Amino acid sequence: MLRELKFLLSLWKTNLAAAMEYRLAFFSQSIGMILNDAVYFVVWIIFFDRFPSIRGWQLTDMFIVFGISASAFGLAGLLFGNAFNLGDIIVKGRLDYYLSLPRPTLLHVLASRVVPSSFGDFLYGFISYFASGQFSMGGLGRFIIAVALAMTVFLAFLVLVQSLAFWMGTGGVFTSMAINAIVTFAIYPITLFNQTAKVILFLVIPAAFMGAVPAGFVKGFSWSTLGLMLLGAAGFLTLAILVFHAGLRRYESGSAYQTEV
Amino acid sequence: MPAIQVTNLTKTFRTKRKAAGLGASIRSLFHPEYKTIEAVRGLSFEMESGELLGFIGPNGAGKSTTIKILTGILFPSGGEAKVLGFIPWKQRQKLAYHIGTVFGQRPQLWYHLPAIDTLILFGKIYEMEDRETRRRIAELAEVFEITDLLETPVRKLSLGQRMRCEVAASLLHKPKLLLLDEPSIGLDVVAKQHIRDALREMAKQENVGVLLTSHDAGDLEALCKRVIIINHGQIIYQDKVSTLKRSFLNSKLVEVRYAEQIPTGFHIEGTETLKVAKERYGVKLRFDPRITPVEKVMVALSAAGTLVDITVSDPPLEEVIAAIYKKGASPSPLLERGTG
Amino acid sequence: MKKYLAVFKINLLNSLTYPAELVTRSAMILLFMWIFFQLWRITFTAAGSDIINSLSLRDTMWYLLLAETLELGRPRLARVISEQVKDGSIAYLLNKPYNFLLYQLSSGLGESLPRMGMLFVLGGAQVWAMAGPPPDLVNWPIALVALAGAWLLHFCVNALIGLSAFAVEEVAPFEWIYQKLVFILGGMLIPLDFYPVWLQTIAKSLPFAYMMYGPARLFVQPDPVFFTQIILGQLLWLAVLGGLLVLVFSRGMKRLAINGG
Repeated sequence: MLRELKFLLSLWKTNLAAAMEYRLAFFSQSIGMILNDAVYFVVWIIFFDRFPSIRGWQLTDMFIVFGISASAFGLAGLLFGNAFNLGDIIVKGRLDYYLSLPRPTLLHVLASRVVPSSFGDFLYGFISYFASGQFSMGGLGRFIIAVALAMTVFLAFLVLVQSLAFWMGTGGVFTSMAINAIVTFAIYPITLFNQTAKVILFLVIPAAFMGAVPAGFVKGFSWSTLGLMLLGAAGFLTLAILVFHAGLRRYESGSAYQTEV
Repeated sequence: MPAIQVTNLTKTFRTKRKAAGLGASIRSLFHPEYKTIEAVRGLSFEMESGELLGFIGPNGAGKSTTIKILTGILFPSGGEAKVLGFIPWKQRQKLAYHIGTVFGQRPQLWYHLPAIDTLILFGKIYEMEDRETRRRIAELAEVFEITDLLETPVRKLSLGQRMRCEVAASLLHKPKLLLLDEPSIGLDVVAKQHIRDALREMAKQENVGVLLTSHDAGDLEALCKRVIIINHGQIIYQDKVSTLKRSFLNSKLVEVRYAEQIPTGFHIEGTETLKVAKERYGVKLRFDPRITPVEKVMVALSAAGTLVDITVSDPPLEEVIAAIYKKGASPSPLLERGTG
Repeated sequence: MKKYLAVFKINLLNSLTYPAELVTRSAMILLFMWIFFQLWRITFTAAGSDIINSLSLRDTMWYLLLAETLELGRPRLARVISEQVKDGSIAYLLNKPYNFLLYQLSSGLGESLPRMGMLFVLGGAQVWAMAGPPPDLVNWPIALVALAGAWLLHFCVNALIGLSAFAVEEVAPFEWIYQKLVFILGGMLIPLDFYPVWLQTIAKSLPFAYMMYGPARLFVQPDPVFFTQIILGQLLWLAVLGGLLVLVFSRGMKRLAINGG
């Protein structure tokens, strides 16, 4: 466990060095992303100005949920950037490189890239929380925990969805649709959805774990909420690892969907 | 103990036929058509530790598939294999500590960073001590002559320079076996030479076994002591490189230049005139030394005029190998002589 | 003229050849329409009225459908063109005996027509089931004209962003911000009618409203005066943006010729 942590740290260091080779792009993309997120949020400000409450959900809740989703999304891109193009890596046979090295494949693949704009998302999340009007130091601590757990669920979902590439050769468009789905569901007020829909948001597209549940935790500590978040993170992570390795076995049998022989 | 032991290895792929078009896509959903490819068919061979072995064959012969199985990336449909005592597909991670790989078309070095950053990362990947990593990098840099290149971003290096760094990187952790898949693709003659020399030196110094797949017969000649020729997933020839050339030597090429012009109708008995130079001072001919003795040809040539220049050469190894490919899997007196 | 038709056709066929992509995108519109419906259904109920700013729930849904069809269906020309500029492949396209801009226009059209068609049909079926039948057939041709104008405006802006790759390293941030500006000032997520009046005035003096709001609104409530306003606005902005595009393009070409690409 410790070995892998040391390895991850040096991998992240190498990533950082690579990103700094293109400092300008890194920062301009990050700033661009902050602006992007902020401008998008304006729509919600306009909305809540006109319609102050959606079954109890208000603008201040929006700030928090947005913040968590943005920071979780950004953190995933910073630490495990290849989660966004895992499907592509699988289909192009580029897993071979990681397979021939003596480190756990999934971890190695995921952590080998930084998405430059992610830093913007990560920062923006904190900005959004500060601006929410519910900021407190305790809340900040809870925010950080919430972001870490939300990121875990998000990552697990990405790995799950893209592991389908082992069987179906699904590529970029499918992945971006899945990302769109989970992020959109995460930021729309959960009060919009009925029971059936909520089940989907917990068990299928775990947007609830990326938005509403962590937001509740930030607003006020509760053991049950924390427990729920941990359960969601652990559950989805386990599932993702299992499915990925099942797919990997298929890859190693040579019968996976590959565009190159 | 041999470094590699392969017994009756087979690998069959079953891939879905994917056709373009709306109709075809829908049809393939309900009635998928499969294509069966027998990439490797009953391969058996051994490689001693520290040996330099070449694997040569045309595209689709099964070379890359075999290498993937040996590195544990792919598991076989049948047969057995042991690499450094490990079963590759079952003990892949353990094996990984002891082998190095270079895939010609899949770079390992991080593109935007100087090579040294990847090397340091590799040190961590293979759990080497920092001091040891640094020492090793300096050592490799000297052999591969890349000391000045280490701090340059890889994307700024020429292909030859990059490949030297790639091969050096694959040796960082002192593997006992190095597997190279088409390492010299795209390299110019000088670059190839450079890498071959460095590899030979490393192999000698550290007793690293080298298994090399290539299209390029020059790689074989320069690097390998023994060669396995593979086609259609089977071994069709294996022997020492020197024997290979001698066994298949059925023609020699001779080029001569005379002080006087050559008369028309110039012909030496037992040889085939290939070309007469435009000004008619030179001629190129070919003969089979098994049928027409070399001495006879030389005597006839020097009797025909005042020799100014002469070149005698063997057919290039490519020709030899191409001839072997054509012979294919069917046994022949030639092949029987070859398995030694 | 014929060559552009050929380019158009080949892109059209290409779109149809990989149905997986079409289907995936269409799934996105189903997702968004569903979420929007939840949002607006509840909002209308909470507002306690069937009509808000002269739009009914049904109107709002069909408005959003047209907006989303355009948004999801339009070609991502900014990315395509910027990549061509950056990797130099633009040189190949410029050597050909056709106008680069017209080429991009016809290929973009060929790509996006089937996509928009599919999006509209699938999304429309869903909206019909959820919110009620589409607007009268009379409205459709009117909306279609405005839609064409809007598509052209999007084309001009996207091409401009793509060509900015001559001057800037990263065009992605521009792309994102442009999209978000269309969201807000084009009334993509909320009909402009729901905005505070001062914001509506600003929005209507900018091109974005003519790229999104115009056709969508005409679709649900056509009005000859409004139609004229929109068409005139579109023509005006087409002249401005189109002119700018041609200018930037010829400037860029000169620079390319001087620098050798």
